[in-house]
Amino acid sequence: MLFNSYPFILLFLPAVLAGYFWLGRRGNRAPVIWLAAASLAFYAIGSWQFVALLLASIAFNYGIGYLLIAAELAPMQRRAALAVGVAGDLLVLGIFKYAGFAADNLNALLGTHVAVHILLPVGISFYTFTQIAFLVDAFRGQVAAYALPHYALFVTYFPHLIAGPILHHKDMIPQFEQEESKHPHAHLILCGIIIFAIGLFKKTCLADGIQPLVALAFDARSPSFDQAWLGALAYTFQLYFDFSGYSDMAIGISLMFGIFLPVNFSSPYKATSIVEFWRRWHMTLSQFLRDYLYIPLGGNRRGRALRYVNLMITMLLGGLWHGAAWTFVVWGALHGAYLCINHAFNALVPAIPSPLARPVRILGAVLTFLAVVVAWVFFRAERVDWALRITSAMADPLNIVLGREEIAALVQVTIYAALVWLAPNTQAIMGYDHGSRRVGESLREGRLRPLVLYGASLVLAFGILGIQSHSEFIYFRF
Amino acid sequence: MRGSFTSVRRLLLASVACVLGAAALTFAVDPLQLFRPSRLIAPFYSDDTRMQNAGLIRSQSFDTAFIGTSLAIHFRQSDIDRALGVRSLKLAMTGSNSRQQSFVLEQAIDRGARRVIWAMDDFSFVDAAGIEADPYLSVDLYRRTAKGIAAYLFNAAMAKESVFALLRSIPPLREPLTRAAPFLPVKFALFDVDDIYALPRDFDVARAYNAETTRAAFAYITDPVRSSFLGEGYGYDAMVRHFERDAVGLITRHPDVTFDIYFPPYSILQFVAMRDASPATLKIVTDLTALIAQRLTRLPNVRLHDFRAIKAVTHDLNNYGDVIHHSPVIDAMVLKWLASGEYRVDPNKPTASLEELKAQVEAYRVRQP
Repeated sequence: MLFNSYPFILLFLPAVLAGYFWLGRRGNRAPVIWLAAASLAFYAIGSWQFVALLLASIAFNYGIGYLLIAAELAPMQRRAALAVGVAGDLLVLGIFKYAGFAADNLNALLGTHVAVHILLPVGISFYTFTQIAFLVDAFRGQVAAYALPHYALFVTYFPHLIAGPILHHKDMIPQFEQEESKHPHAHLILCGIIIFAIGLFKKTCLADGIQPLVALAFDARSPSFDQAWLGALAYTFQLYFDFSGYSDMAIGISLMFGIFLPVNFSSPYKATSIVEFWRRWHMTLSQFLRDYLYIPLGGNRRGRALRYVNLMITMLLGGLWHGAAWTFVVWGALHGAYLCINHAFNALVPAIPSPLARPVRILGAVLTFLAVVVAWVFFRAERVDWALRITSAMADPLNIVLGREEIAALVQVTIYAALVWLAPNTQAIMGYDHGSRRVGESLREGRLRPLVLYGASLVLAFGILGIQSHSEFIYFRF
Repeated sequence: MRGSFTSVRRLLLASVACVLGAAALTFAVDPLQLFRPSRLIAPFYSDDTRMQNAGLIRSQSFDTAFIGTSLAIHFRQSDIDRALGVRSLKLAMTGSNSRQQSFVLEQAIDRGARRVIWAMDDFSFVDAAGIEADPYLSVDLYRRTAKGIAAYLFNAAMAKESVFALLRSIPPLREPLTRAAPFLPVKFALFDVDDIYALPRDFDVARAYNAETTRAAFAYITDPVRSSFLGEGYGYDAMVRHFERDAVGLITRHPDVTFDIYFPPYSILQFVAMRDASPATLKIVTDLTALIAQRLTRLPNVRLHDFRAIKAVTHDLNNYGDVIHHSPVIDAMVLKWLASGEYRVDPNKPTASLEELKAQVEAYRVRQP
């Protein structure tokens, strides 16, 4: 089921909210079970064939977690339990996500014709990572014993299940345990609706609105310089509005249930360096990769050379996490290289003289944005050679068309660029603070209340009017 | 319960009011001219032909429908009218399949078309989604069902177009916005219905259509990496079924309508590419078009024209932008040939031109760079 669909907005969400708060009057556990069941139903509506896999994954990880938390195992046994748990998760992920890719590459190497056709279960990358983090923390002794319904809800919680944000058990399960969130909170519901409306508008009006321009670069046999750049920029903005729109909707929906989700985007295209970009883009994935891959690999503790190796490994695996294709490997490698260059630059040029600070920041922002756009070409292209065709066109300014279609595209891309660079992000508009569990304080004060309310109603209306047909989120396929 | 829900209620009610207001605006302005021809404000048209055709069929006055794929997309209605002495409505859609073409033609015939000019491409008969489930062409919009009307009225893009149309109707803004519209991200940007998908009058034909680009396209499609795409979707039995359903079915349902059907003049390289890289596809194409020629020439309300073997055109690669798309110069020739009937297929020898084409394909040698 899609957030940007009439059945979800008009039927599913109101029904689940009503059931949750009605049960909230009768106890603290029934609403959790209700929400977990509703989340499974949400998943089953679009992907019923993978519900059993999801349930098995929950049972497996909960069982391993129990061994690590509650059973009194010897250190070696604990280590073995963790190894079994993580290996089991990675094996399932490997089979469902990477078996076809591995077979294709082996076929190419060995000249064989082994065909592997396995459907990718929706959300598998997200719920696998979420649970690996749980097991590692349980091994480290950083997890309290959780009740099964709360654990099951933590994994299946429908606002995040399909495309994140990647949740952390220490953040979520205590919120599920709170009695207070089981009662409707008018202010949180109001703020939740507004954040949802902003996300819906981003998806249906902005992301879907610019999507046709992507074809200028990615569907053309030999795009010109301007077509290649316009198509690549269109995809850059489409992906941002699509994914950040989804994340806003997830945060808004969750807020209606009284649950605060972590922020996933913080105006990433305003970043002045690649390091900063990764602190602003898909933040929960960056945090996961840092805490559970980069730091365990050694992080920056073993010298500069190994730090760069660790960065490259982390980003290559981060690229592969997005999809089983060489294009994602190249995308990860590019970002790994960007990060290495960025860190090397910081090491070589530790301080910028203050008169130069501002121009250097602007130059940094421009370079960062261009580097990100080039990398998105590989992320979006179906094959590496097709991506190279586009990047070649982007480097050939002598081949320009700039006809009517390209000028109209340029106007649209410019409007989107202005939005991305000049408009505040959702959490700034709404004063959303995940850490302190606060939102919309200025709205509560009342000064701007009517303006915000009627502005939000217009945004919600256009978000709903933008729903045209089945338009999936790009990150559903990861 | 924490706090008052007055603001939540107010927000939701205001949203409902905005949604209804936007729908009312779209109904009043009707940028697609689905409900009425635009009179109070100047009509504008879109290159999104699958959607635009639904409005054109209802708002324009015509006696002849002109349809095809991208091969027919650059024709101007005024040129068709002048060459053939008709009042035409161009309904060509890029990449359209026979199911879509047949459906749109049926709507046009129901609205008064007495003659159909059909640029029939063999590849339009490849397998495609059923028309009722077609994601690219809304049958509900054409039929004006409740679902189609709701999707049209409750639509952010249409509300935006309506606002732009209103702004464009304000006298001081009319001129600048009309001039700027083609360069703005608005759907309904064309002032003249004749301009839908037509090339600009000052278009540099030689730059877009020349032997160099045609040869480059040939090299591209015959590259071993991509040559498997040449036969993608081709299957003789399915294509014959689609031809019978979409073409013969439509023609026999409308015996009072005259159908001028023509095989467009692709460059010889289209067939040579198949000959060299996918001979099985070439066999399907020749067998299928032989059958089409035999079937159509037997129908009393059909005049079939075959332009594929006109060597002076198809062997001159400067006439093409790739291996199939010909220049507007050839568009004009097509209209002239249709008017004169010069290349009309003889019902007694329906495959004569095809045999000539086969011989040409057999004999053609690709110039090595």
